[in-house]
Amino acid sequence: MPATEQVMSELQGRVRERVRSELVRHGASAALEDPALFAEIDALLRAAIERSQPSALLLPELLGDPSTWRLETAIKYQTHRGPAGAPIVFVKQRLLMPILRWFYEFNRDNFERQRRINQVLFACVQELAIETTRLRRELRELAGEPVDRT
Amino acid sequence: MSSPASPSIEREIGPAPAPRVKLAFVVQRYGAGIAGGSEMHCRQLAERLASRHDITILTTCARDYVTWDNALPAGESVENGVRVRRFPVAHPRNLKAFADLSDEVFDDLGSSPDREEEWFRANGPDAPALLEHLRAHGKDYELVLFWAFRYAPSHFGLPLVADRAILLPTAEEDPAVDLQVLPEYFARPAGYLFLTPEEETLVSTRAGQRLQPSRVIGIGLEPERDPHPSRDILDGLGIPQDFVLYLGRVDRNKGCATLIEYFQEYSEAGGQTTLVLAGPSTLAIPAHPRIRALGYVEDAVRHALLSHARALVVPSPYESLSIVLLEGWNHGVPALVNAYCKVLQGQVRRADGGLYYRSSREFQETLSWLLSHEDSRRELGAQGLAYVDREYRWPTVLDRVESLLEEVSRRRSTAPA
Repeated sequence: MPATEQVMSELQGRVRERVRSELVRHGASAALEDPALFAEIDALLRAAIERSQPSALLLPELLGDPSTWRLETAIKYQTHRGPAGAPIVFVKQRLLMPILRWFYEFNRDNFERQRRINQVLFACVQELAIETTRLRRELRELAGEPVDRT
Repeated sequence: MSSPASPSIEREIGPAPAPRVKLAFVVQRYGAGIAGGSEMHCRQLAERLASRHDITILTTCARDYVTWDNALPAGESVENGVRVRRFPVAHPRNLKAFADLSDEVFDDLGSSPDREEEWFRANGPDAPALLEHLRAHGKDYELVLFWAFRYAPSHFGLPLVADRAILLPTAEEDPAVDLQVLPEYFARPAGYLFLTPEEETLVSTRAGQRLQPSRVIGIGLEPERDPHPSRDILDGLGIPQDFVLYLGRVDRNKGCATLIEYFQEYSEAGGQTTLVLAGPSTLAIPAHPRIRALGYVEDAVRHALLSHARALVVPSPYESLSIVLLEGWNHGVPALVNAYCKVLQGQVRRADGGLYYRSSREFQETLSWLLSHEDSRRELGAQGLAYVDREYRWPTVLDRVESLLEEVSRRRSTAPA
């Protein structure tokens, strides 16, 4: 009886091997010539993508004020003119926006894609930082140096 | 669907060991012609439990889930053996204002809890009399079950009767489940019914705690009475012998644009099968010799398609439970699903009922494998059917619901006043 995971493992291996060959043929790092190494890299990046939800990412916490780096995709109809600005808000919201909505939505979809890419890249960097830190600790232990595990 | 008093349903639920309980089911729309997933789930459970519990459906007069226009008469009726109380919707949904508010609250920069509460109100359906009924008479019901966390009746109604509330969130991995006001809301009910283990994990993670007591119930399916219907109806439509099926709304949000793109790449690489899309479309489907778009299909065509497809493709990135996936397995058809949807991938892995893909290359590889390994393809379909037999027959589903109702009632009766 076929087991889904077993079949998937075989098929994903085939796809991975085809991708690896194409990358190498197109000039990717010679390190990727090793199929076993490539499989580990593939697994690491897949795991990072799995964990790319914003609430699981460290980098956004370290980047500081979100308004200086985050993509803002929503339009907020605001004015600094107080009550006198109400007609301006009205014109923006009721007259200009209906005309420009198609353009706004086109851009918003693209910004959403960029936001997803940013999150995935944050997750990859985080995963690589974890791996590097672990390796550094192992090297220190092998060298007999103290490792802080508090 | 058969009547709740029919012998077949009596067989499904067996003798009534538990006492009759007064239950309210709160759902945004209700009725035989209403096709939404949570609405259908609510109606099917209500009709099957009505012979052993005193059930009242508390719902709105809306039929249309986009506008929430009042279309059904307010007041009490009995529908297929179930008492239904409909309350009017105060105003239709303002689509433009709702779209703008959605942009605001789902923006990464976030918005205030007040704006999020406003989003739930704008999402609707806004039925103040329903909420007033819960406020005034909620304690008359022993337990109150709420479907679909995202709609106003559940969002604002559940806190009014939280001590006796059971939530069926029907949550998907879309941005709504990340709203800041939800952890507190998700922690309030007295019990939970989930559709899949993945949904339970998703909601528990968002709530920041294990949500108990709970059961994963899914939905019940009847065994197929005619699992091998004639192909005549498909021949009449010019459907080839060798085809894979997509069944449902042909929509970008259902992953169909990506499916069509991947399938075209599969065909260009030499793939020989035909993709049949059966369902109303909101997409411009390209003219392609191996893509057949049938639009809406009658039940007989649907049944024949499911029975003769080589595989069922489910490309949706967001699902809390894919009923069509279970229907495919109910016909012994293996599935090919979008691996980015944790629910779909989890269901396929638990069932050993098909394969999954993350990319065009994986789509091509998995589809080619299914179509070139006939025995294994059939076995995957049979394993899917065995999974449905094991997990999704009505007696199993109803036993799980009853055990949760009993546990919540017992906890309430022993809790300090």
